[in-house]
Amino acid sequence: MTANELFAKCAEIAQNPRAQMDKYLAQGKKVVLTAPYYAPEEIVDSMGAVPMGVWGADMELNDSKKFFPTFICSIVQGIVELGINHVYDGASAIIMPMLCDSLKGAGQNFKAAVPSIPFIPMTYPQNRFADFGAKYCKANYLTVISELEKALATEFDEAKLAGSIKVFNDHNQAMREFAEVAAMHPEVTAQQRSDVFKSAMFMTKAEHTAIVRQLIDAIKAQEPGKGRIPVYVSGILTDSPELNAIFDSCGLHIVMDDVAAQSRAYRTDAPVEGAPLDCLVKKFQNTGNDSVLYDPLKKHVDLVPDQAKQYGAKGVIFVLTKFCDPEEFDYPLIKKACDAAGIPSVQIEIDRQMVRYEQARTILEAFIDVLS
Amino acid sequence: MAEEVKKQRPPVDPNSAKYKLGKIAADAYALATEAKARGEMVGWCASNFPVEIPETLGLSVCYPENQAAGIAARGAGQTMCEIAEADGYSNDLCAYARVNLAFAKIRESKEQPMPMPDFVLCCNNICDCMFKWYENLARELNIPIFIIDIPLSTTYEPTNEEIEYVSAQFWDVVHGLEKLTGKKWDDEKFKQVMENSCRASRAWLKATSLACHKPSPFNGFDLLNHMAVMVTARGKAEAGEAMETLCREWEENIKNGTSTYRGEEKHRIMFEGIACWPYLRVTSSGLKNRGINMVTTIYADAFGFDYHSFDEMIKLYCMTPNAINLEQSRDKRIRLCKDNHVEGLLVHTNRSCKMWSGFMPEMSRQIGEACNIPVVAFDGDQADPRNFSEAQYETRVQGLAEIMEANKEVR
Ligand code: SF4
Repeated sequence: MTANELFAKCAEIAQNPRAQMDKYLAQGKKVVLTAPYYAPEEIVDSMGAVPMGVWGADMELNDSKKFFPTFICSIVQGIVELGINHVYDGASAIIMPMLCDSLKGAGQNFKAAVPSIPFIPMTYPQNRFADFGAKYCKANYLTVISELEKALATEFDEAKLAGSIKVFNDHNQAMREFAEVAAMHPEVTAQQRSDVFKSAMFMTKAEHTAIVRQLIDAIKAQEPGKGRIPVYVSGILTDSPELNAIFDSCGLHIVMDDVAAQSRAYRTDAPVEGAPLDCLVKKFQNTGNDSVLYDPLKKHVDLVPDQAKQYGAKGVIFVLTKFCDPEEFDYPLIKKACDAAGIPSVQIEIDRQMVRYEQARTILEAFIDVLS
Repeated sequence: MAEEVKKQRPPVDPNSAKYKLGKIAADAYALATEAKARGEMVGWCASNFPVEIPETLGLSVCYPENQAAGIAARGAGQTMCEIAEADGYSNDLCAYARVNLAFAKIRESKEQPMPMPDFVLCCNNICDCMFKWYENLARELNIPIFIIDIPLSTTYEPTNEEIEYVSAQFWDVVHGLEKLTGKKWDDEKFKQVMENSCRASRAWLKATSLACHKPSPFNGFDLLNHMAVMVTARGKAEAGEAMETLCREWEENIKNGTSTYRGEEKHRIMFEGIACWPYLRVTSSGLKNRGINMVTTIYADAFGFDYHSFDEMIKLYCMTPNAINLEQSRDKRIRLCKDNHVEGLLVHTNRSCKMWSGFMPEMSRQIGEACNIPVVAFDGDQADPRNFSEAQYETRVQGLAEIMEANKEVR
């Protein structure tokens, strides 16, 4: 298949998560929903179920408003909205890590609003570097496992987890390589890039790795397209077709990202030496450079200008998910760090309920004038 | 001149709870300022961080949340917020954080001065936003940060694993602070501090429970003021003494049929959320004008740090209002409503606090049903005056009063 055919396949999957879920259910597989961020999907996979990411959807919120005040991010409100509206029916459970205040509230609301889907919280230690953090993380993985055993009516087997860890590490590696290759090929559009990341949430990792590997080869076989303006994107979620259309029509080429739904999720592999569950704990301990994870030295702040430079980006675009505390706290410091590094940056605010993107377009067009 | 102006006011009786509590709150800033002047290291501390640590180590700390509330109550909330916003902080962020980050930048506030910190002590049993705010302080001021991570208990009670995790962090912070400041941990002093905290807590719990009397011997807005001492100074011997005085005064009120609530107490409500500090007077008189007394808030329960062992103390820190799940949060409030004969619930949908407001609509619905009381919410903010509308507040409170009135007629 050509690169474009493979991209089209990713787009198809990215746009139809419910069809994917129905396909897996029809195959007799069980589906476990995984909310942001860093849900232990390896555990789900090792227990024979398919983990599927839930990040809400681009839509108007109605029923979730009975549960949330207006000033909570549209991602978590969307998850509850879709749950109430039976979009997730058939899922065996939802795992929700609670790495921000909105997710904490959302978990409690989901429990009340969608009683038909078992709610499994995953409590991560933010103070995760020392042994006490590792111990607590492991204890909570064990709780998740025992809840999954009930929800899936199956037993956990640590030996199988070792296999799943390899599958996920392999997928991480493929995703990282895809991002690198896309950086060398300006013809890869923002939309195509987004589809590759988004489709990963709705497929088994083994299936997705196979597609991404083919895609990498197909892109490499192409002559790199005409140069566009290289930019670095930071944020939580950038999958909106309207937003990507603006990036593409403005001639922007995303050379690397620091987006939670994209590269942030694939930066860290689990080690493979040692007991598999401990390896998974280590993976979480080693994960960082993210606004939702305790960051005493604020390495996330320096990562953005460093990577932007490393990948030759001319500018940094912050795509802020409205009402996101963690990102809103990091932004002023990252902006300052970009200024100090002489990298122009701009912020655009998005929301999954947004229908008009004119403001984002105007801001980006003005930014491009600065870059060129 | 200043002396003369002061003398015109009726002097506050130095033996009164008001005087004692006010002095403790003011002394906290003065002591930290003096310590700083002596060349000692001082800290900024999150409100629900275990006070036992700095108190036992003899470290002076200030509480940015308390400072921000003071600045907002004295009218400078918006100015400070705007300074932070000019640096790129979104106006959707917690206004306490914005006020404090602005203070960290300009380093002055005539409304509430505070010495600059040499370290920060952070705990997220109030919200995760704390971590982000204190991370930024640590980076901008180039000082160390110490954290105690207390996650939301998703079970009804905190698990043993959580208590173990938090205990380990407690000692980790103690050792880190010993190393940084050269102060030494003393088990005897720790025992004393724990006793002080328990004594103050017992008196606080007893005093707040007196609202079960009809009429209540106090105006619930008193709780919002006095709670500052419970949050920040309960490890000090004076706090217990002052709280006991408060308790005695309110018991005296019951005997005499008096109250700090002026006027006839027609309706009794529970108030949910942090005070709207920039509009304290407006929110208070909106109730008083309709004969409504706020007899209780979750604060009445929240600072009952009466424990008998180290593990019990840790458990209480794991059970502060924003660290517990919906069911536990709801049941605590239902108990307060029932014990204090509450007839209505007024919810402050606090724009600053995503943690407090995140599941509030569902929880207040469940409380309303369980207690068979009306629930009314209004929009506001703990420190940013731009997020409050007096007209909306008046309409909502009037609506609540009318339902409570109608309920009385039916009953
Ligand atoms: S991190 Fe931000 S965008 Fe993500 S769930 Fe929390 S508030 Fe929402």
